[in-house]
This record gives sequence, structure tokens and C-alpha cells, in this order.
Amino acid sequence: MQYTNSPMLDRELKKGSAELLILSLVEVRARHGYEISKLIEARSDGVLRFNVASLYPLLYRLEKRGWIQGRWVEKAGQRRRRYYKLTRDGKKVLAAQRSGWEEFVAAINRITKIETA
Amino acid sequence: MTSWKEEIRNRLVDLKLDPVRETEIIEELAQHLEDRYAELLSTGMAHPQAFRAVLSELRDRNILATELARVESQASEPVVPGARRKNMFRDLLQDLPYASRMLRKNPGFTVVAVLSLALGIGANTAIFSMINTVLLRPLPVSKPEQLVALNNTADNRTFPSFSYPNYKDLRDRNDAFSDLIAYRFTPLSLSHDGINERLWGFEVSGNYFETLGVNAALGRVISLEDDGAPGASPFTVVSYKCWQQRFGGDPAIIGRDVIVNGRSFTIIGVAARGFNGTEIVAAPELWFPLSMQAQLESGRSWLDARAVENIFVQGRLKPGVGARQAQAAMNELAAQLEREYPDENEGKRITLSPPGLIGNSMRGPVLGFAGLLMVIVGLVLLLACINLANLLLARAAERRREIAVRLALGASRSRLIRQLLTESVLLALIGGALGLVLALRLAALVVAVKVPVDVPLALNVAIDTRVFLFALLISLATGVLFGLLPAWQATKTDLVSALKDEPSFGGYRRSWLKNSLIVLQVALSLVLLVGGGLMLRALQQAQTVHLGFNPDRAVEVSFDLRLQGYEDARGREFQKHLLERVRALPGVQFASLADSAPVDLHFSRDKVFIEGQPPQRNMPVAMFNRATPGYFQAMDTRLIQGRDFTEQDDQNAAPVAIVNETFARRFYPGEDPIGKSFRMGSAELPKRLVIGVVEDGKYAGLNEDPKPYVVRPLWQSYSGSTIVIVRAAADAQKLIASIRDEVRQLDPNLPVASRTLTERMSLPLLPARIAAWVLGVFGMLALALVAIGLYGVMSYAVSKRTREIGIRMALGAQSADVMRLVIGQGLTLVLIGMGIGLVAAIALTQSMKALLFGVSATDPLTYIGVGLLLAGVALLACYLPSRRAAKVDPMIALRYE
Repeated sequence: MQYTNSPMLDRELKKGSAELLILSLVEVRARHGYEISKLIEARSDGVLRFNVASLYPLLYRLEKRGWIQGRWVEKAGQRRRRYYKLTRDGKKVLAAQRSGWEEFVAAINRITKIETA
Repeated sequence: MTSWKEEIRNRLVDLKLDPVRETEIIEELAQHLEDRYAELLSTGMAHPQAFRAVLSELRDRNILATELARVESQASEPVVPGARRKNMFRDLLQDLPYASRMLRKNPGFTVVAVLSLALGIGANTAIFSMINTVLLRPLPVSKPEQLVALNNTADNRTFPSFSYPNYKDLRDRNDAFSDLIAYRFTPLSLSHDGINERLWGFEVSGNYFETLGVNAALGRVISLEDDGAPGASPFTVVSYKCWQQRFGGDPAIIGRDVIVNGRSFTIIGVAARGFNGTEIVAAPELWFPLSMQAQLESGRSWLDARAVENIFVQGRLKPGVGARQAQAAMNELAAQLEREYPDENEGKRITLSPPGLIGNSMRGPVLGFAGLLMVIVGLVLLLACINLANLLLARAAERRREIAVRLALGASRSRLIRQLLTESVLLALIGGALGLVLALRLAALVVAVKVPVDVPLALNVAIDTRVFLFALLISLATGVLFGLLPAWQATKTDLVSALKDEPSFGGYRRSWLKNSLIVLQVALSLVLLVGGGLMLRALQQAQTVHLGFNPDRAVEVSFDLRLQGYEDARGREFQKHLLERVRALPGVQFASLADSAPVDLHFSRDKVFIEGQPPQRNMPVAMFNRATPGYFQAMDTRLIQGRDFTEQDDQNAAPVAIVNETFARRFYPGEDPIGKSFRMGSAELPKRLVIGVVEDGKYAGLNEDPKPYVVRPLWQSYSGSTIVIVRAAADAQKLIASIRDEVRQLDPNLPVASRTLTERMSLPLLPARIAAWVLGVFGMLALALVAIGLYGVMSYAVSKRTREIGIRMALGAQSADVMRLVIGQGLTLVLIGMGIGLVAAIALTQSMKALLFGVSATDPLTYIGVGLLLAGVALLACYLPSRRAAKVDPMIALRYE
């Protein structure tokens, strides 16, 4: 996934929005990494895509910060997978990031609307 | 899958991650790649293309290694001070869900553990909450830490009372206290709204409430102005509880008049809620100014008598003055007073103590009793801990493999111990919470027990932070205590054999440990059970104690004419009238009056001067009573020699007395006591002629040795305190109402107490009853814990020896042989434990002798009974596992391992 041609700006943007994406996906129930990546792809109609190399470091970082918590779950007939769920702290962060993002989008919209007007 | 793992591992190799962490990451990522691969295949992509596509994700700008290095490096940072605790806390957060899962997985174990812990911790907390109330919780006054009690010491004797003149001098001359207060317990007879009640009050100095910082909930408190001229302030302050309970919380109570001890007093205030005076367990209901002392105590004034020491004194230390400094200052004053008034104050000094236990005089007994209780409940908790340690040891053996795997994967031993401890501490905390609830129930139950004494006991047992902290701490300590040893043992595993699931040699050591814990448990419970058994025997024995009277079919009705303001002549008149009327009641066989009755802890005693014997330094003392004719018949006491009193033995006749056998034997050895004479109280008083001898009895306690005892005619020496004793032809209980009715007809305002003589006998038996209850209940609890523990250990032993038992059976052993083997092993432990317990019990029960009513501390019946009980329970606890052992199928057992 690449938003811009500048790698630095790309990383910063990604950091902010990608965290928000992951946190919202594990909000309702615990999901494993592959499921998260598939959901991002499907819900964005293929616009956004995470690959292994970028997704997991991000998951581990969120876990380290205590926003999500992963644990191994074994289901009958399957190999065990690591499921991530939102922690109490993560819920707070998600709420804050969500409203921040909405303000950001609204601001962008206002600006772009004026320009198109 | 394997190839994914290789690819990932290659990319991580430079990061030098923690091996466990690395394995996890590889597993997770490999899983992802595998899923992706499967997905691509399902879209119809060929294997080689799909493989390349998946790998390209991994290669993407080598982001994986750099990003992971950033995230994971934080963990490999050197540990800095302060960070460690954070880790431990995080570990704990991880351990807690794990621990609770383990507990849920073994509900049987968890229930047994929590219940036994709840019982143990609950018992400890209950006892502690009482100790807290009596010894630790401050009086409900402002700045209670400044308050101290003064104690009078002389000749190595400490007593809490001072004379009023000495108090005034101490108060006015000292510079260590901001003020000294004086108060005195006084019995009251209160009449209001047509109700007559006997209760207790305090006579207090005018500065009492102000110094304590206690205000009125309603009206005003007693002030310095009320403590002026004697007899000029007929005012009283009632306690909040008294206001609520006796006056229904009447908002118009201020200004109301009540009759107290035959005089009218005006209620000027209600004391602040929760203030029960300056003693902890005894709560007065009314306060009066000390200036009204003579009016409250039937005219006797002692406010100017330096020889009469009967007020308690407490002081508020000046800020910055320590107790030691204050004590030194007070002793200088005491020395001054000794010089000024050598007759009354010779050798007297002052010691300070925490307030509230009648000076310091109750501290010793209270501490002794509380200490004993704490030891007993401590033992019970120890038993519960041993049990759990044993159960955990057994479980640790089951989890040997799990623990070995984790150790092999690089978990540190301290980390594992911490995790196992989390489990046991969690258990202990759950048990503790339940125990706290239990403790409050238990304490409420104990407080609700009405102690048959006529002092207003007020034990307000409530949970406060101190009790809560105690329960919490004891739970934590318990969790560590029973968890540490098993955790230590469990992690001391021989990895190789544990992973192979082979029995390890450590197992023998562990079973040795388990076995000694069982031995210890049996010994402890034997001690408790023997204690309880001895007390039961003692209570049984107490029924057969020769009382010297017969409490069956007899009742007593008591009142105090002096308190009610009767002068002697009127009182005598009243007594004569009443006795005539009671004797005429239907159903009355014998009726008489006395001023006291056995068995009474405060039986009066006085010195005896025998005619013809020179006065000695230590004059012999006898207990005495005053009674009307017919007293011995009413009490059913045998007259052995001589005659009873007659109506003619009055003030106009020569003084006479009836003595008991011990009196006769001690003071007139080998002679006929009838016709001999003696003096009582003082050598100057007129001598008394012995006219009769009655059988010995118990007077001040069921445990006492035979004591000399004298009865004088009530008509010759008046006493206002009166007990009507009536022996009924049939049902005594029914007579009480009609006797009370007769009293009411003579004086509707006289407060009256009544009970049967059998009820009276419950007080001397109280300490033994309490001891029997405590020891019996905790003994049975201990027995239950032993049964659980033994059962657990034997079941475990059987399960571990399944293979051995299988071999034995394959070689021809019968079920009976196997059962004998298992039971024999269990009973050996029990017998060793009983042996140790026996020695300990014999040593410890020596201290109970005072409560045993002549039952020997080595009473064989008790020891044999307890031994059989324990052995029986132990047998049952071993029988169940042994039956399981006998059912072992050799084929299955041998295949099993």
C-alpha cells in the first residue's frame, strides 16, 4: 500500500490510518492476522492492501503498546492461530483516533469542496 | 509450510530475537503465508506462480526485518531500574487469566480449597475483629491518641481507682495534661413512663465531655457549672442508644424529668451518637455530674474522703508531651501527695496505660483470652494451608510435564514460581473474600449472645479498614504460605525424565514431604479435639458438682431498696411485708430473703476474728450472706447441726450466725462449733454465737475449693439489696410473675429482676461453655480438614501406584491385600501423627486445668474417644481410595504406562 510517492510521508500517513483500520477491525471480535488483511482488502474494494511484511510489525507494535492483545487459539481441525482483540486501552485510543480522523476528513472535505466550488 | 518457515527464519536471523518469541513470530507469519498460498491456488493459479507471489509479499522492500527490528528491539533493551516492576505487573496481568482458567478447570479442587480457606480466614478475621474492637480501635472521642488512663500502683499492685481529693490535686497541680477527667460506674434504678429498669450510669466530673470533645446530639452536655455545689445539679445526659431504645427517640426529651434512684433528675441532653462512655466493653446509658454522687448513692458521700478510692481517671496529654514524660511528672506529684497525706498515699505511684480497659486492669485477661483464641484459629488456618499445600503438591506432580515443557522453552524458574503463586494467591483471595463475609456473620452471632452478667456489655463489632486489611494480608500470606513450597518443588524438575513422562526420583522426596504434612495435620487436630473433648467432659462433670443447694424448682426475684431511696426502717418494713405476702402465694413451698445468693462471682467476704485467738497480720477471711429464717429450706441446703434462724433472731436478740462445715472445721478443729463465738469485719464489733452448721457448697465459682461461709440473720443486719428466694411445689417459672406482682403492689416504681436459679447457674459455666464451643467447633473443622487432606493424599498415592498395584494383582494379590496395603500406609501416617499429637495435647491441656471442674487433664475417656474418632475418620478417608485401588484391572494398569 502506498499513498504518495514520498516514502516518508507515506509512512507517517500509514502509521496513523493503518492503526485506525486495525483497531476498528478487532473492535467487535477477535480476528487473526490473515483475516484482518483480507477484510481490509475486501472492504476497501481492493484499494487498500497490507502484505505480511507491513501488517505483522504493526500488529506487534499495537500489542506492545497494550492496545490489542493476541492469544493463540486452537480450533478443532485447524492449526492454531493467533487472534487479536481490542483491550480496554485500545478502546480509548480507537475512540480518540476515530473522532480525530472524522475531523480530519471533514476538514479535508471542506477544503476540497471550496476548491471545486 | 516448512519452506515458509525457512524463508521467514532467514529474514529474522539477524534480529537475534528471543528464541521463544522468534518461534511464535515464525509460526504466525507462516500460517498467514500458507493461507495466502491456499487462496491463490483456489483462484486457479498454478503452484509455482502462487509460491512466487506469496514470497514477493515477504520480500517487499525488506520491510519485515526493519519493522520487526524496531518493534521487537524494545523487549531486548537492557532492564533498567523501575522497568522491572512494570514487567512483573504485566506478568501478573498475564498470569491472572491463566490462573483463573486453571482454577475453573478443576472445580472440585477449587471448591475444596476456597471453602477450607474461607473457614480458616473467616475464623481468624472474626477473632481479629473482636480484638480490634477491644484492643485496637480508639474510643469515639476527638484526638483519641492523646487520651491515657491513670493507674494507681502500690506494693506491686495496680488498680484503676483513685480518691476524689487525690484526683483534684492531680488535676490542678500537673502540667503534663491539658485536663484530667474522673468518672465512676454507678448502678441505677430508672423509672419513666411507668417502666422501672435497673441499668448503669457514669458519675462524671464537670470537664468530662469538654475534655473528650464529645458534644450533644440534642440539648447540652454536662459542664463545669453542673459539677459545683453537692446536690445542686439534678441533671442527666442520656446516651443516644438509651434515647432511641428507652425513650423511642422522643424529640421532646430535653427537659423531661425521670426518677433515678428515688430522686427526680432532668434530662438536659442526648450524647453524640456512638459515644458509649470511656470504657470499651461497658456502656453506661446515663451520665450525671459527680456533684450528685451522694444523691445517687443513697446518701453516702465520699467526695471529701481521701481514703475512698473509687473513681477512674483519664487524662488528655498536652500536645508535644509524651506518655513517659507525663508519667514522670505524675509520679512527682504522687510523691508530693505521699508526703502531704502519708496515711492514705503511702507508697502510691502512677502508671499510664491506653484508656478503656478499666484502667489497665482488663488488659491482661483480655490479651490472654484473645491470644488463646488467636492461637486456636491460627492452628485451624495452618491446617487448611497444609491441606492446600498437599493438594497443590499432588497437582504439581500432574503438571510436571507442562512445567518441564515451559522450562525447556526458556521460561525462567522464578517466572514459573510466580505464575504458580498467582494461582494460589488468587485462591486465597477468593477464600479470603468469602471468609470476610463469614467472619462478619460469626462476629454478629457472638455479639448477639447475651452474657448473663449485670454489667452493660457493649461490643460493637464492625468491619473497618483495619479488619479488611487484616483479612487481605492474611489471605495473601496464606496464598504464599501454601503455594510457595509446591511451586518450589514443581519447578525443581528433572527436565528429561519429566518430558518423557517417567516417574522421577524427586517423587519420593515429594511424597515424604506430603506424608510429614499429613502427620503434622493429624497431630494438630488431635490437640484441638482433645481440648474440645475435655471441655465437654468438664461441662458434664459440672452437672455433678456438689453445689450445697438445689437450683431446680427455685426462683429468685431481686431489687435494691437503698437505690430506690428507702431508709433502713422503711426498707425492713417493706421486706417483712413482702415476705409475708409471697409465703401466702399458692404453689410456694418455702420463701425467704437474702442479700446475695450463690453462685456469684462477687460474693462478699470479710475478716473473721475467732474468740480466744489473737489477731494475726493476715486475718482469715470468710464469705458471708444475710438471710431470713427458711433460707436453707428455700435453697434446699442441709442443716447438719444446731438450728435455723427464727423470727426472734432480730435486732433485740443476741447476734447469731450459721456457718458451714469448712468454717467449723477450720476455726474449731475437733470441737463442737455450736455455742462458740466469733466477730466478723472488725475486732470491735459484738461477737456472734454459732447456732447451726450447714453443708458445704459452692459460693463464688464451681471450681473453688471448700471455703468458710457465714450466714447472719437479715433481721439483725439489714441490707437494701434483696433477693427473694422461693422454692416452688411444682413449676417455679410460673411463680415469677405472681411474685413480681406482689412487689409491684407494694411499690410500683421499684425495678425488679428475676430468673430461675437454674438460669443463674449459667454464668459460672459460661467460660467452660465458651471454651467447649470454640474448641469443639474448631476441632471438628480440623477433623474435616484432616479427612479431606488424607483422602487427597491417599487418592493421589493410589493413582501413582496404579502400575505397581497392577503388577501385584497380576502376580496373584487379592483385592483385600491391596486394600490392606493402601489403608495400612494411610493409617501408619495417622498413628504417627496421633502419637505426636498426644504428647502435645498432654503438655498443652495442663493450662486448661482451671476450667475442668475436676476432670483430669489426661482424662483417659477423652483421649480414647478422640483417638477412636480420628482413627475412624482416617480409616474412612483411606478406605475410599483403597477400594479404588482394589478395582485396578492389572491388564489396563500395565498397558497404561
